[in-house]
Amino acid sequence: MYRILGRAGSTALLMGNEAVARGFLEAGGGFAAGYPGTPSTEVIESLAEVAKEAGIYVEWSSNEKVAVEAAYGASLAGVRSIATMKHVGLNVAADALMSIAYTGVRGGMLVFVAGDPSMWSSQNEQDDRYYGLISYVPVLTPSDPQEAKDLTVLGLDLSEKFSHPFMMVSTTRVSHTRGPVVLGPLRPPRTAGKFERARGLTLVPAVAREQREKLISKWEDIRKTFAGLGQFNRVEGDGDVAIVTDGVAYGFVKESLSELGPEADKVKVVKIATPLPFPRSFVIDAISNVKRVLVVEELEPVVEGQLKQALEEERLTPEVHGKDLVGLAGELTLDRVRRAVRSFLGLPVEEPRLYKVDLQIPPRPPAFCPGCPHRATFYALRRAVNRLRLKAIYSGDIGCYSLGLYEPFREQDIIIEMGGSVGAANGLAHAAQDQVPIAIIGDSTFFHAGIPGLINAMYNRAPMLLLVLDNRTTAMTGEQPDPGSGVTAMGDEAPVISIEGIARGIGIEKVVTFDPFDINGATNAMAEALEYVVKERRPAVAVARRACALDALRRARKAKVQVPLYQVEDDKCTACGICYNAFSCPAIFVKDDRKAWIDPSLCTGCGVCAEICPYKAIVKVVQEGKGWEEAWM
Amino acid sequence: MDVSRRRINIVMTGVGGQGLITAARILGEAAVEGGCKALVAETHGLSQRGGAVEVHVRLGDVYSSLVPRGEADVVLSFEMIEAVRGVPYLRQGGVLLTADTLMMPPTPGLRPLKRQQIEAALKGAGVRYVVIPAREAAEKVGSYLAENMVMLGALVGTGALDGFVEPERIRAKVQELPMADKNLAAFEEGIRLGSQARLRP
Repeated sequence: MYRILGRAGSTALLMGNEAVARGFLEAGGGFAAGYPGTPSTEVIESLAEVAKEAGIYVEWSSNEKVAVEAAYGASLAGVRSIATMKHVGLNVAADALMSIAYTGVRGGMLVFVAGDPSMWSSQNEQDDRYYGLISYVPVLTPSDPQEAKDLTVLGLDLSEKFSHPFMMVSTTRVSHTRGPVVLGPLRPPRTAGKFERARGLTLVPAVAREQREKLISKWEDIRKTFAGLGQFNRVEGDGDVAIVTDGVAYGFVKESLSELGPEADKVKVVKIATPLPFPRSFVIDAISNVKRVLVVEELEPVVEGQLKQALEEERLTPEVHGKDLVGLAGELTLDRVRRAVRSFLGLPVEEPRLYKVDLQIPPRPPAFCPGCPHRATFYALRRAVNRLRLKAIYSGDIGCYSLGLYEPFREQDIIIEMGGSVGAANGLAHAAQDQVPIAIIGDSTFFHAGIPGLINAMYNRAPMLLLVLDNRTTAMTGEQPDPGSGVTAMGDEAPVISIEGIARGIGIEKVVTFDPFDINGATNAMAEALEYVVKERRPAVAVARRACALDALRRARKAKVQVPLYQVEDDKCTACGICYNAFSCPAIFVKDDRKAWIDPSLCTGCGVCAEICPYKAIVKVVQEGKGWEEAWM
Repeated sequence: MDVSRRRINIVMTGVGGQGLITAARILGEAAVEGGCKALVAETHGLSQRGGAVEVHVRLGDVYSSLVPRGEADVVLSFEMIEAVRGVPYLRQGGVLLTADTLMMPPTPGLRPLKRQQIEAALKGAGVRYVVIPAREAAEKVGSYLAENMVMLGALVGTGALDGFVEPERIRAKVQELPMADKNLAAFEEGIRLGSQARLRP
């Protein structure tokens, strides 16, 4: 039984993202599209898992812009839709978002975006609520998984009612918290409808001007609706001071107050789940009789700023605190909110007593998994660069291969955003003297935003190597299929889009493909491509092709294929350290005598360590079963 | 054990791939099915690639999902270096329950730490700790993939969850896992090991 298909009326422990997926089904949604990105991925994952049973359409789109456009298209055909992404994905989709606010939608449409404050797995933190201000797309901010579900239903209902796209802005501690969710009834999905022409859908300037006027009046109508949303925008308690909370902040405030005892009774909590358009009359009514206000919200002062503006216009003068006590950077924590609440209430803030262990422990950064083909590619790339005595610039990108930043590889000199490796390499190719830029990108990221950069390199003759690490999947976010995987989100067979075909199609003359597990072959292939770049002053493409080790092992175990095992022959090992220092596989450990030891529970049988050991001290002790090689394709 | 009976704060620490998230989900689901509120917060993403992982489980009268430093009743660790990293979460008098598994990060050039060193440092800091021979227990039931169930069992065995979740409900969830027999055997073995370190109120 799938978690998100539970019986109406029952209580399930759902992750916030699963709750959104459930809400989508309760709202009769029929079309879901997204691009994977932590912490947003599980919405599409959970919907894809139940797509056949629920009778809905679910896809991983090639990027977030396409996901929003596709969901918009479905909405225009009358089908309720959702597009999902992480915060930086919304930047990619922003162009579409701005315009669909002008045209409006038909079937209810929700853009779901999950932010990552504190940057647990992101390159920046940004307050996605600001997009509501720029685009005039209303913003819903759930405080917990229950609200994530309920607001998904409400958002889709209101979107259809106002013929306007809505946005839900979640955050790590809603999206990745599991909490109890009371399930509502499922509505039968509407999966097909009819597109009808309308003047407002074609945004040429004359039409856009008309739509702009309509947009402004729609915004005010939605503001009024938001001011009357008792369940989500509500006042709790009474007192002469107020704490205004938005989204995830509510739980932290509630918990901070629950620790206070009778002090808490003097505080009125004004809870908001719709920061944009700001439910002004509701908030002003709630705080018109208080002397002091604290606004608690994550990241930027979106509510605080609007509140101060409203108070100014109403000529109300309570003392207002917010970011001065809560701070801007990083996600909210109970500790942080508790301090803000206590100092606001004039209560002492106690420092926790902590145990201090007097022992230096090493950091544990994420690393390439045992058997990861990227490790082998980086190892071989370094050899190729050294062989040609090149001064390489490693223009990196977003994905597992970002981990090539760390020791012992150090082969990621720049990491900005999806596809950025290729674009930045273009500029470096023309501007960096005597250095050769190598753009390093994964298959999914190449399909997402790497292709235009490659076209630019060909068009403008940028001498650079594009190295595509094709592991047949979007690995970093948990192995979601992409246009090179041969399968769709719903598990149907799909054409495999050829990376080499794309490169050759735009005119790249030097395109090489290699197997990273063949270290010598990989080194030769990359050296050949780099030589071409240096000599011909034109771009070349190298494709490293080997499945993600996690996928390969899963396939092998499912098909009951014997996984081979490698071990170190102690008498042959000279403790040279190449396997654990230069290759650095997490399955290989250093013994007290500095010789290597392979943990059989971690070894994935890739065999690369045996290939690179100069003393042939690493040997296969368990032979692979039939079908092993196929599992890695 | 000196817990506030309104709520219990548990921080699980370990290494990506050790099955913390599964253990935490089982605990949370068992709690909710028994009518106890549960919030389970995960730190995902990069951590899946062999990095340090933290999962916070809060049961009872709770509204937010993260355990502040100095407020965990129990730190349940699946690895000894990560146990040390988890110590700042412990409240005064809280208990560190750790597997004896020791995995050095694969960073080149590190000087290996030893179990005795870690235990000595924990003792020196005055931390109440219990070491569970998790791998030996998991191997005994036939799968080192079941270490997480040994640790979940150990947590149950200590009695820390009494009044919040009934062991029977957790057992039922363990039975829904793939390889149910091995996981269940590991869970029972964990309970046995944990109950030897029974925490008295």
